[in-house]
This record gives sequence, structure tokens and C-alpha cells, in this order.
Amino acid sequence: MIVRLAPIAVSACLLGTPGPVSAQQVEILDDGFVWDLPDWLPPPPVPPDNPMSAAKVELGRHLFFDARLSVDGSTACSTCHDPALAFNDGRTFSDGVGGARGHRNAQGLANVGYSPMLTWANPVLRSLEAHALTPLFGDVPVEMGNIGQEQALFERLRADARYRDLFAEGFPERGGEVSLFTLTRALAAFQRTLVSADSPYDRYKYGGDGSALSASAKRGEGLFFSEKAECYHCHQGFNFTDTFATSRSGFDEIAFHNTGLYDVDGAGSYPAIDQGLYRFSADPRDRGRFRTPSLRNLAWGAPYFHDGSADTLDEVLDHYAAGGRLITDGPDAGDGSRNPLKNPLVLGIRFTAAERIDLLAFLDSLNDPGFVANAALADPWPEGHAASVDRRQAALGTARGAAGRTDRSALLPGLVAACLFLLSLVALLRARSAMRSNDDPLTRDSPARDSLDKHPSRS
Amino acid sequence: MNPSSLCRAASLAPVALSAIAAVLLSAHAGADDRTDTTALSLTFAAEVGGRPFACGRQYANVGLTDGDIAFADFRLFISEVALVDAAGRRVPVRLADDGRWQDGQVALLDFEDGTDRCDNGTPPVNSRVSGRAPAGDYTGIEFVIGVPFESNHGDPTLAGSPLNLTSMFWNWRGGYRFMKLDMMPVGETALAGTAMSSEEGAAMEHGSTTHGSGHGSGHGSGHGAAAGAWMLHLGSTGCRSASRTTAPDAPCAQPNRVMVSFDDFDADTDLIVIDPAAVLVDSDLQRNAPDTSPGCMSFPGDADCASVLPRIGLAYGDVVGDRQQLMTVRRDAL
Repeated sequence: MIVRLAPIAVSACLLGTPGPVSAQQVEILDDGFVWDLPDWLPPPPVPPDNPMSAAKVELGRHLFFDARLSVDGSTACSTCHDPALAFNDGRTFSDGVGGARGHRNAQGLANVGYSPMLTWANPVLRSLEAHALTPLFGDVPVEMGNIGQEQALFERLRADARYRDLFAEGFPERGGEVSLFTLTRALAAFQRTLVSADSPYDRYKYGGDGSALSASAKRGEGLFFSEKAECYHCHQGFNFTDTFATSRSGFDEIAFHNTGLYDVDGAGSYPAIDQGLYRFSADPRDRGRFRTPSLRNLAWGAPYFHDGSADTLDEVLDHYAAGGRLITDGPDAGDGSRNPLKNPLVLGIRFTAAERIDLLAFLDSLNDPGFVANAALADPWPEGHAASVDRRQAALGTARGAAGRTDRSALLPGLVAACLFLLSLVALLRARSAMRSNDDPLTRDSPARDSLDKHPSRS
Repeated sequence: MNPSSLCRAASLAPVALSAIAAVLLSAHAGADDRTDTTALSLTFAAEVGGRPFACGRQYANVGLTDGDIAFADFRLFISEVALVDAAGRRVPVRLADDGRWQDGQVALLDFEDGTDRCDNGTPPVNSRVSGRAPAGDYTGIEFVIGVPFESNHGDPTLAGSPLNLTSMFWNWRGGYRFMKLDMMPVGETALAGTAMSSEEGAAMEHGSTTHGSGHGSGHGSGHGAAAGAWMLHLGSTGCRSASRTTAPDAPCAQPNRVMVSFDDFDADTDLIVIDPAAVLVDSDLQRNAPDTSPGCMSFPGDADCASVLPRIGLAYGDVVGDRQQLMTVRRDAL
């Protein structure tokens, strides 16, 4: 059915722009599942072994917000992908259990189902199902800390009567089993519903509402899509990235670019802690190459870049205006604009002050408050439940991170910080003893386990 | 009524859409099943100066370039395929719709395989264009390098394949890149050369005339990694619309669709060779004309295009189009 019906809709509209996807058609594509999508947007690709169902999505939503998915009950997926922040976490680097520190900036999950490759630069992480193993079981860096502890994880979930029903309804063909298969499939199914397509720009461009955008944002759009700014060569299409696929795509498009953020050795290198694609390919030409991030919901996405090294969009524009970032001192000193591995279209842009305002107005029009407020994507757990009680600390951390961006003096009182520190210490000890006891070859050899954070933070 | 509003209207009327789809489907099936139609397949090959194209390969003596070049992309769209009979009558070929390479109207030729410098591309490759035409006695073939105007100006990520490839897209006003040949100087001379073109690019944007020196110092890696590139992007220019993401109502001033025709052509035995070397004979791929896009991106006023586009058969500025020299027929090569 998939191959038959989709081309018909396309051929019917070959003479025009997007062919419509009717709800009726979508229903046929996904075993009765009805996507909550505007009619102009094709659904994301769905792997054959994980067809969508409302029950599976609902299970996935419960799992996504369940801190018991972490080894110490402290950290849910939503800790680093908070719906209130468009599924970002507002921090420079994301923290794992026990105070473990990553060295990358968490990306927002809006439209993540349309990304045929996950994380900033791991070319082999090609599905949300496979990706789920990384935060659950990865130990480099530790995120949720379950390495070797999957049976304990399954037991925690089985012990909750609510999950008995949810797994049974989500996976009737598997007798409602709690396993790596069902866990990762449900999480992936839920994440495919994280669609942000109702920003003012969407209403203007796809919904035909000419008043949805200010005159300044319209001028900014023109600049964005111009040969002067060249932004759109990488930030292309519905999700403003050239790593993209829909259920209609004949190909997965995946692209990595070095944008000249650094040049620490005059030969193209980024700081050794994170050289992007190079870590996987070992090809020196891949130093500093990262996947193009979407530009949607940037209002909740600060700080920016793979390492969170720009606090504001103004700083991001400064970087592109200069055709690369100049760092004058410190270990990362170098002129990124002369990085020999830089994408040749990052040439530098001479903005006027007015053009800069216009471009920011355009980027602002890509923010989707309805996505942030979408009740269908919200935390399903009641107040005080074990699934959510511990991650309240994490929520405090989020608030602190968000506040720190605008007013670093407004940190939480020292007392609370000290409590958090003590709790982290306890959690760290627990996580360590857990990790020592059992080592899982499944995740040990997985290239998905990205990036050792042995190095001191640069921030 | 512009095309997008046509589609939107259609989406409001699923019943009407289904009816249209049903008609299209039956017409399509009917054409394919008719015994008096014949299958046709055109076979293409990509070469550079007579050597087979490969993403990892370095090519010497391309145009005026002093040093080797390599490719990061080699893709192009083909449409409006027609057979020509002995009387000069033109009979359209109905392209197949395979959901990937061809959508019934446009076909993508894709010679990059996602390896080496082409790794922002896609692993599958395609060197054939196939369809059906009424049975007959044909002597020649015609086709266009490009996308028909009617399909050229939508949002690619919402279209069907192959028109949903973001990498083949400019913007809605300008439409698709009809051809995308991304080249770069490599090897020992590459660093100095590409640093120059990169700086010229920066100078163009900043309006600065300051040129530094000493780019090569300290670059001991020897990988010849190129910051600069020389891209040959063919596409429509001079398109007028309300904004860059609005489709134009009228054809663009320079459509830049290339009509290619070969007399005395036998699709069963003849190979069509695509070789950019002949159109680049006057180009130095280590240099980019100041104040222009890297290479030739079809835009007016780019000296890098002045010798290139006419050799693809297109007029450019004051220069009249020559015969196209991008594609040639190699007889009995299949």
C-alpha cells in the first residue's frame, strides 16, 4: 500500500508544490495510526519492524518521561529533552547520572523523526530505535547508566502495574514483553510524534496566512535564502537541515559540515575533545564536521553549536558574518575563518544592522509555542510518582541552566546546590558499583557509544 | 491560480483527488500495458577528460587548472525525453515512475556514490533513464538537462522522489539545480589555490581588497584538503516572484534548460557520455572570479560562467550559445 498510494498523491500534484497527504492515506500507511500533521506535511519514515500505533506511542511517552529508565532513578529522557524547552535542556553540556558530564550540547527533538541520522556526528546511528540504546546504556559518557543492568531496568518497569497494561497494549504481538526491543521501539514511536510544524513561518509559508510574518521576518527570509547569506544551502527544506528524509523520500540525505568554528592548529583541527565526524571516519578531512542542526525552536535551544559555545543567536550570526570564528587566546585560539576544511559556502556575510534584525526576526518566526505546549507530548506521570519524583532535581537543574543564560547571578541558593552535590555523589557511587558488576558486550562494542569525556571542560 | 494553491485546493477535496488519482493510475497502467508501446532505456556514463568518473579519483589537466582536481558531486536531472523519427517527428517518451530515480516526468542521473569527497551525497547511483514510447521507427533522441518549469519551483522536501533531494535545490524562486558538479583542487598546489579562492570569496562579501599571505605555512598534513571549491551548478536564473520561497508565475528570464539531441541514435547500443572536461577547457578551477559564487552557479555577471555555459549550449550574457559539448554519443559501447 505504501508504494502504491504515496506516488499517486505525488503524481496528482506533480505540476505544483507539495502533494497533499490526506489523513485517509496516512491511516493506510501506518496500520490505523493517525498522524497529527498538517495536510501539507508527509509523515516521517517508519521502519518496517516498528509500525506506529497509538498504544505504542502512549507507552513511549510514559517511558520518555520515566526517570526509572536511569540506573539510579534520577534521569529520564526528558531530563535533557524537556518539552518546556522544545525538548532541549538549556545547558552547555548535558549531565548523566552520578554527575557524569558529556561534552556535547543536547539537541532539541522537534521533528527528530525526519532525521535519518541521530546525534551531532555519528554516521552509523541511523534510527531512533538504535539511538535509544546510547543514552540508556552508553558509558562514554554515562547518560542513564544502565550498562550491564538491563535486567534490573526491565524489573523496575515490570513492577509498575501501569506498565503491564501499557506494554500489553503497545506490543500485543509480543505478549506485552518488557525487553530491549519493545523499550526502544516504543521510545522511537513516541519521538516520531514530536512534530513541530505550526510556527508563524509554517502558517505563512504552508498555511497561506500572509499576516503570520512581520515585514522584518519576510525580509529576513529573503536574506536567509539569498546567495549573500548562503544559509539555506545547509539549512534546507521543511526542517532547515540537509540531513533529512520523509516517508516520501527515495533517499536518506545525510550531510556533515565544518563551518570554521575553530582552527586550533592552522590545519583545520577543532579542539581535540570533539572533532566531530573524524572520530568515526579517522579521515583527517573530517575534522570539525558535524551534522547540520535544524533551526526550528531556537528560542529554547541556547546555547548553540555542538559544544554550546555560543550563548546567543547574535554570537552565531557573528560567527557566520566573519566566515568563521576568531578565538584570540586560550587553548582553542585560532582563526576559524581560515580553517582549510571549512565548507566553501561559509564565506562571510556583510550584514547591515537592519539585516541582522531581519534575519533574527525570521529565525524567531520558526519558533513554535504550540509545540512546546502540546499536551499530547507532555509528561503523563502524576505528581510525586516514582517515575518523576527524582527528576524534579533535574528540573531544578534545567531552571538553573536556563536562568544562568540570562542572569548567572540568579543561581539557586547555595544550600540547594550543596544538597544536589551530595545526592549526585551518592548516585555516582551507586552507578559505579552497578557498572563494575556487569558488562554488556552489546553496548560495549557499539560505535554508538560516543565520545569519552576525559578532558577537563573548556567552559 | 498558482500550482501550490491548486494542490491545496485538491487537498481540501480528497474525493476529487482520489478520482484524479484513479484516472492517472488507470491512464498510466494503460500506457504501460499497451502492446504497441515499446520500452526505452538510455544509458549514460560520467567521465572526466575521457577517464571514468569516481568520487575518490584525482584528475589532471582539466581546463587551465595547474594541478589535480577531485569531485564532491556529480548529479543531474533529465526530462522531456522524446524520440525522433525519420521524418523529424518528435514523439514524447513516457518516463517510468519508480518512486526513487524517476517520478514519471523527471529522472535523476546520479554518479556520486556517497564515498570519499562525495560523502554528503547518497550511496545509490543511477546511470539510466527509462520509459515507454509508441512503437515506431525512430532515428534520433532528444532530451532536456533540467526540470520542467511546472515542477521546478516547489518545496523539495514535500515533493516526491527524486525532486525531494535537498541537495539538488536552490530555492523556490530559482528551483532545482539541474546539474550539480562540485569540484575542488587537490594535491600539492591545492592549499595555496583554494585559500586564495576562499579569501576572494570573503573579500567579495566584505567588500574588502585586503589579501593576506602565507596560507601554506604550517600546513604539514599533505591531505590537500580544500576549503575552496569550484562548483558548476546549472539552473534557472532571472526568475521573478514575490519572495525567494515563492514560485514564479512566468518562466524565468534564463531558463537554462539544455536541449540535447542526437541523430542516428540507437538506445540499445549507444552510450551517452557526460564529460565536463570539454566545457571547462578555458577554466582554472583553482581560481574564482572576484565577487562571484565559487565556480559557475549560472548567475549573470560571473566571468567563470562566460566560457562554460556557452559550451553547454546556453547563451550567457553577450555570449551566444555554442553547440553543447557536455554530452557525446559513443556508438556501439553497450
